[in-house]
Amino acid sequence: MDNKKNILYGVFFLVLIILPFILNSRWESVATTFLIYSTVALSQDIVLGRAGMFDMGHAIFFGLGAYSTAILNTVYGVPILLTIPVAIILPLIAGILLSAPIVHLRGDYLLVTTIGFNIVFTQALKNNVFGFTGGPNGIFGIASPSIFGYSLSSQTAVYFMAFILLLITLFVIRNLETSKIGRALHYINEDSLASECAGINTRFYRLFSFGLSAAIAGLAGTVFAVQFSAVSPEAFNFIQSVLFFTIVLVGGPSSVEGVLLGTFFMFVLPEMFRQFAEARYLIFGIAMILIMIWRPKGIWPAKFGRIPKYFFKD
Amino acid sequence: MEIFIQQLVNGLTIGSIYALVALGYTMVYGVLKLINFAHGDLVAFSAYVGLVIMMQLAGVISSSVVIIVLVFIFTAIIISAFGVLLERLAYKPLRKAPRLSAVVSALGASLIIENGIMLIWGPRPKIFPSNIVPNINWNIGGVYIGLMQLLVLVISFVLMFVLYFFVNQTKLGAAMRASAIDQDAARLMGINVDRIIMITFIIGSALGSVGGLFIGMYYRGIYFNMGWIYGLNAFVAAIIGGIGNIPGAMLGGMLLGIFNALISGYLSSSWALALTYVLLIVIMIFRPTGILGERVAEKV
Amino acid sequence: MLRKGLFFILAFVATLMFSMQAMAGGVIKIGVQAPITGKFASEGQSIDKAVRLIAKQYNKKGGILGKTIKVYTCDDEGQAQKAAVCARQLVDDGVIAVIGSYTSTCAEAAESIYYKAGVLQTSDGTSDTLVKHGYWTFFRNSSPNSAEAAFTAEFFIKKKHYKRIAAISDYSTFSTDLTNAVVKDIKKLGGNIVYKGKITSGAQNFTPILTKIKSFHPDVIYFGGYYTDGGLIKAQMEQLGIKADFVGGDSNDNPEFIKLAGKAAVGAYLVNVPLPNMLPYDTAKKFLKAYQEAYNESPASIWTLFNVDGLRAILYSIEQTKSTNTKKIAYYMHNKLKNFPGITGPVEWAANGERVGSAYMAYRIGSDLKYHIVYRH
Repeated sequence: MDNKKNILYGVFFLVLIILPFILNSRWESVATTFLIYSTVALSQDIVLGRAGMFDMGHAIFFGLGAYSTAILNTVYGVPILLTIPVAIILPLIAGILLSAPIVHLRGDYLLVTTIGFNIVFTQALKNNVFGFTGGPNGIFGIASPSIFGYSLSSQTAVYFMAFILLLITLFVIRNLETSKIGRALHYINEDSLASECAGINTRFYRLFSFGLSAAIAGLAGTVFAVQFSAVSPEAFNFIQSVLFFTIVLVGGPSSVEGVLLGTFFMFVLPEMFRQFAEARYLIFGIAMILIMIWRPKGIWPAKFGRIPKYFFKD
Repeated sequence: MEIFIQQLVNGLTIGSIYALVALGYTMVYGVLKLINFAHGDLVAFSAYVGLVIMMQLAGVISSSVVIIVLVFIFTAIIISAFGVLLERLAYKPLRKAPRLSAVVSALGASLIIENGIMLIWGPRPKIFPSNIVPNINWNIGGVYIGLMQLLVLVISFVLMFVLYFFVNQTKLGAAMRASAIDQDAARLMGINVDRIIMITFIIGSALGSVGGLFIGMYYRGIYFNMGWIYGLNAFVAAIIGGIGNIPGAMLGGMLLGIFNALISGYLSSSWALALTYVLLIVIMIFRPTGILGERVAEKV
Repeated sequence: MLRKGLFFILAFVATLMFSMQAMAGGVIKIGVQAPITGKFASEGQSIDKAVRLIAKQYNKKGGILGKTIKVYTCDDEGQAQKAAVCARQLVDDGVIAVIGSYTSTCAEAAESIYYKAGVLQTSDGTSDTLVKHGYWTFFRNSSPNSAEAAFTAEFFIKKKHYKRIAAISDYSTFSTDLTNAVVKDIKKLGGNIVYKGKITSGAQNFTPILTKIKSFHPDVIYFGGYYTDGGLIKAQMEQLGIKADFVGGDSNDNPEFIKLAGKAAVGAYLVNVPLPNMLPYDTAKKFLKAYQEAYNESPASIWTLFNVDGLRAILYSIEQTKSTNTKKIAYYMHNKLKNFPGITGPVEWAANGERVGSAYMAYRIGSDLKYHIVYRH
């Protein structure tokens, strides 16, 4: 079974490597955004799927990363690659600070509070706090990153940046899954009281998952800012958070394959059906309901543990 | 001083609309523990339905009082039927599914209604005729109040009082409360929970339709995507009051309306929206069950 | 190494296919980048319909340079990020010119992509930053915010002699920029701004901010946003007993403004370029009639007509240069095209892509609910 999975991933990566050479520039751009959104969705899944906290404000951390890069680059002229540490650390700190007073809240209350955070965040961006978020316009003219004086401005270069981003994220999640922390999160999600009784510091692990997922989303924000060489408040509003939230649930919480499929379904498919511009979101809403009815745990639900198959048969 | 009172009147008017819509959220949450994200769009939909009915009736009946009363009744019936349909198709099959699946289903339903409105009526705003809803204004010592405002206030209060009486004094209301507290126990007591859920959707949608019609008649312009803003605000109102709690939703709506008016009136209109949500966050942190919500032990 | 080789082969095949398509098809491809869904859907759909109408008219007459015009539409939903995707798609489709987008933000987000691809772009976006890059591909078909602001300030100070001015905008790029520019120009002329604030577009309930403004006793309230909010603001001013004048920026100019405000619309002032139906231009009347016949409604707003002018000027330049080489067309548009008879007035462009000449006017809505010109240059 593991072998089958490895082959599947091998094919998936191979396709991703070949993709930019066969796609035209519009679809290459869609594919790049797919990689970035997948990363954000995977990071959202750490909080939502793995730790079981209903976070509907994840676009904040994505946005913080993107704006960090944008502001440092356009205002202070910092090269893109050097903005990365800030774009990771700032969302990380914000993730911990914002979640600290609320991680103990019950599911829906947490959801509502994170929506609140998100709305305050976009409003602050639009109001041009501290005078450098560019107001409702956002920020234009973000430079391309360069390595050893070689500018990575082509679309394919950005695509591979996003690809590396996804690889890093998958690597982090793979490690998380097999580590003590991953198991602890799983226990907390299943039964937080029992896990606390078993000696797990639930608060610590919850904050940890928020911090980690915010950091990954922030890094994704940097690549996003580079791809469009622009950031604007709309790209990080509450509706975007709803999108990431839905991606995870439609795909399958705490299932990497599910989240990737979810991103494909929620982001790439609507792009494909652009010619039905006016009706496409209607059809989309119907599809969301049908998927939830037929597969309430997502398109590709997670399987936990490594229980041999024969265990279930007879 | 009259500026302050004017702001209170402004706040109360919009606040009672929020309250009407918030009741739909809070009642559904009470019985299903589901945030019905489609409720706001249902409210928007009711304004469109109401406008169509009004235009049809305007050709037949000349008395605008009769027209308005009939519009309220017909719209409430249609929207209630719609609410029940929504529950049957999108939520009922998910009763046993993980809780968040129903949330996604609700988001899907919201997309369907919003874009459905756009496909049927087009993206341009629709406008309620100015000759049917009278435009009468009184100036009381510098404070201006319109007939429509007065109607909004009076009708909302009456409806809320009736609802409060219904929930607390009738058998059906008791069954509703029982289902909200513990569905399984209620079922064991012989309560038909499915029927209670249906009634909840009927009442919630009907109140929402009144809210939607008020929006249309008071502000006159309606948009296909206005459901989000009203839905979100009403939802916040329900939370502030204590979600699942009926008087809480009414109180929350009023408070939110007044809070909003005073913030934009005395602080900054640019930050009014943000500050509303800051208030929400503060309430969530210090009193997560809202103002009137009972202090339940942390569910673990 | 292999990867690079593969890339070159694929790229070569792709170019070959593209050029073959262009030669064999005998079509001229025109792109529309507009918000077909979302908040500005009505404007976007109207622009798309208008472009398709013009294309149909040309094709009926046998096309242009013997080729038929084919229109490609991409929905940018009014979001900058989608605009970039659209721009790439339209470039891939092989269009030589793009109409759009409706919002300044989306036009700007797409601008550099069209520039790099050598695709002409004409937009009604009024934000001043649009022409700052100096891209040879960009042509603004409307007048910039700065021209409107200067005119508005003059109208306020020189004509109406307002003493206490309140200004409101919404959060959109366009509205904030315009309102800021108006406020700046008013201050330059020595005007007194007593209040400046923002509303959330679509919030419907503007009584709190209006009540606050009332306490400043302004003699005029300027609103630099869209008619959907402007009409309600005017109505609610009346309801709150605010006696101040109302002056709306160009985007309040829409038939729906009067419907929304009802009787309260009487006495409102609007600042905009001349209305097509008030102008003696035959082209304007003809176009409006054709649009009405084709779609059984009138264009959503003046912005549709600006875009139509941009398109007509480009098509005319293609005919004159007898070429589909965008460099040649752009050269013609920058240097040779003078006084082209547009729907919205004479059309010509400065070297930076700015439309030359603007003829703003201030209208008052009379008790007959019609526009009456009260001030012009």
